[in-house]
Amino acid sequence: MMKINHGSPQHWALRTLGVALIALIIVWVPTQMSTSRIGQFSDAFVLIIAAMSLNLVLGFTGQISIGHSAFFGIGGYTAAILIKDHGWSPGYTFYAAAALAFVVGCLIALPALRIKGIYLALVTLAVAVLFPTLVKWKKLAWLTDGAKGIDSVRYDELPVWPILGELKGRDGRAVFAYWLAFVLLVVTYLVCRGLVKSRFGRSLVAIRDNETAAAVMGVNLTVTKVLVFGVSAALCALAGVLSTLRTGVITPEGQYVTLLGSIVFLLIMVVGGAGTLWGPIVGGLVYVWLDNTTRGFGSESDGVGGFLFGWSDQSPATLILGLALVIIMFVAPYGLVGLIKRLWVKVVVVVPKPAGTSLPTTGQ
Amino acid sequence: MSLLSITDLAAGYGPLEVLHGFDLQVNQGEIVVILGANGAGKTTTMRAISGMIPRRGRIVFDGQDISSSSPDSIVRLGIAQVPQGRGTFADLTVEDNMLAGAYIRRDEVLADVERWFDVFPRLRERRSQRAGSLSGGEQQMLAIARALMSRPRLLLCDEPSLGLAPLITQELFGVLKKLNAEEGLSILLVEQNANLALKVAHRVYLLETGNVVSSGSAAELAADDSIRKAYLGS
Amino acid sequence: MERLLQYVFDGLSLGSIYALLALGLVVVFRGTGHLNFAQGEMAMICTFFTWQFHAWGLPLVVSVLLGMVAGFVLGAGVEVSLIRRVAKKSEAGVFVVSIAMFLGFNSLAGMIWGNLPPEEMPSLFPDEPDDFVRIFGAVWRYEYIGIMIVALLLMGLLFLLFAKTKFGLAMRAVASNPESARLVGIPTGVVLAASWGIAAAMGALSGAMVGGLAGELTSLLMFTPFIYASASATLGGFDSPGGAVIAGLLIGVGEQLAAGYAPGWIGQELRLGVALVTIFVVLLFKPSGLFGSTKVERV
Repeated sequence: MMKINHGSPQHWALRTLGVALIALIIVWVPTQMSTSRIGQFSDAFVLIIAAMSLNLVLGFTGQISIGHSAFFGIGGYTAAILIKDHGWSPGYTFYAAAALAFVVGCLIALPALRIKGIYLALVTLAVAVLFPTLVKWKKLAWLTDGAKGIDSVRYDELPVWPILGELKGRDGRAVFAYWLAFVLLVVTYLVCRGLVKSRFGRSLVAIRDNETAAAVMGVNLTVTKVLVFGVSAALCALAGVLSTLRTGVITPEGQYVTLLGSIVFLLIMVVGGAGTLWGPIVGGLVYVWLDNTTRGFGSESDGVGGFLFGWSDQSPATLILGLALVIIMFVAPYGLVGLIKRLWVKVVVVVPKPAGTSLPTTGQ
Repeated sequence: MSLLSITDLAAGYGPLEVLHGFDLQVNQGEIVVILGANGAGKTTTMRAISGMIPRRGRIVFDGQDISSSSPDSIVRLGIAQVPQGRGTFADLTVEDNMLAGAYIRRDEVLADVERWFDVFPRLRERRSQRAGSLSGGEQQMLAIARALMSRPRLLLCDEPSLGLAPLITQELFGVLKKLNAEEGLSILLVEQNANLALKVAHRVYLLETGNVVSSGSAAELAADDSIRKAYLGS
Repeated sequence: MERLLQYVFDGLSLGSIYALLALGLVVVFRGTGHLNFAQGEMAMICTFFTWQFHAWGLPLVVSVLLGMVAGFVLGAGVEVSLIRRVAKKSEAGVFVVSIAMFLGFNSLAGMIWGNLPPEEMPSLFPDEPDDFVRIFGAVWRYEYIGIMIVALLLMGLLFLLFAKTKFGLAMRAVASNPESARLVGIPTGVVLAASWGIAAAMGALSGAMVGGLAGELTSLLMFTPFIYASASATLGGFDSPGGAVIAGLLIGVGEQLAAGYAPGWIGQELRLGVALVTIFVVLLFKPSGLFGSTKVERV
């Protein structure tokens, strides 16, 4: 077991190595891999963004939500409607979707403040089921195109980004979507990280651990809970927009628009490690990898067909996810991230700088 | 004759050790009292004997080793506990509480129900009432009656006087003393209220932070000055 | 008038299915304090078992009974092997595990049977187009009547179990105070496992009835019934078995009335919305439901 001092040259070397490795993978994918593989990564990013948004509410603040699929759907549908029916340029739909979802999230959070536990779960359950039901409602068909969903959401002009140069055609679109998703992932990560490490973030954790104590210590429960729910909803909506842009389709039975989507977000979060910043990332990657490697075991369902038919005959990925979750509950209650941290410590330990005159302590 | 024999009892909650290994004995027909302040480990001792928590050491009841027995087998052997805070089944009727107490018995129990109603007439008046609506004293009576329904040979009582008015407490202790005298029911009683406890006990153990620091007959301990100062306030 | 009666009849029959499923949720909640999120999916997979037994040549009634037995075994098994162990570590974990089971059973059913075309699920009762009875002009199909009777019968048996049997007393005692239940010698482990088993068995029967009504069997079979059952348990109060039954019937009738009298606004599509709105309204104003007592906030 190696001991490295915090801030030492070895520490910096380690960090740089880590970042370089990640950067290498990130750049290697769109340039070296097939278009379908690139698409898989984009899908993974979308899922990760959604899981990260849920993590804010559930992992850090301890409020149960199985309703985030509704926010995902709000994002996706806002983008689809604005682009197809109103000719909006895709870039602005992100803002619109985020704003709308923020408002809806806050509205839902207001009454949810007073309830906890399974009751909150039930309310969010109702939200998750209500969304596709409303979308399919005849009275709203003028807006949502009902059960068949909105398709052919196209954006023909791909902006010219520096470095990437001109991207054309289907391949170009896939690469563009990949980078867009990645940028959004980074943005989401930074937002989450910024929130979590701030005073706001500490009040979130305080609420999770003991609401009464938090209130006594001066945390404004109402404002905090509503805000975090709104932000979480907005981020989830971004994922929804991405999904629509990537696939050009959104339907009420779509992959993450129904209750099952909420559940997948939750499970990924828990498997990866709830309440950690990297948890959803690890969980999402593992899930998508599982899904793709086991897809051949089940029946074929790729592209639009997979989205439209939801989960009725699918790859074993969800079953495995469920099993993985149960195993994780026993073996690694802090998720894969916790497990990795525990194993990592056996190899390398970063010794924090001693504070003042106190003795240095080992561990991370 | 030794009914309950405890050797080197150690127990705790997770990493927190509460009992540090002590010996204790209850003989047939005795009323033994464990005195101790809050946090001494009295309730932990009761729970350990009843098998509710993992424990180390040796507990022998009437010749049988119950050191690692399950709670229901311990009840079957003849130990019943009246838990701290009554622990009645609040949603069930008084009568159902009594019937639940007789769960382990396979014979006709209704006669016993009537018998305990004779001893505690106030319970009979409220037999169809929800147990949670009874007063503290009545719930305590119910808890005792419920425990007795299983026809135990050893009755464990965890702070029966807690939160009760002195008159009720005296009445309850009177019942316990009578049962001990007339039927030979052995009783292990845990109490903070030393005054009353010393009056009914045959022998007393003093528990302090998980260790027995003193033991002897009730008369001996009552006469001991240091104990009087600490527990009887005089 | 006959239209009203029609809605009431239909509502009572459907409502009794919701009530049955909701009763399963309540039994588990009362006994263990947990919401079994996978109640619907477990019922669904048991219905597949039932179909499979029937496909292997067993008479339908026998298949349904076997399906219920399978349900009991499944429910008890899950409690003993999973729930019990996770509950020791964390209450929140139980909820997450039941969500994992929701996904897992859904996926499993799809994988084992999913590749076949929509199953033909026969009904326990005569369901030819002319199998009905007319009461004051409203049509009451034999199938609907049958469902209601069987469901109410089973619920009646359950209430008898609770009220009159020793084991039922044990279940009520464990629900009321698990610690004291152990102290009087009740084998709480057995009671908990049995609670889950009974709930799953009832789910299996609901599944068979829903399947018979729908005529086909997919892994999404019990999805909406589960929502209705949750709404019923919420409305009735999660710790009130009687409440679950009454609420189930109310919701059944209520949604039929809403769908029937406002076909433009609610109609068949937003029927589910009635249940969802019920959940919102109840939880916002009276979380303990109509007949429930405590506001348990364990997770």
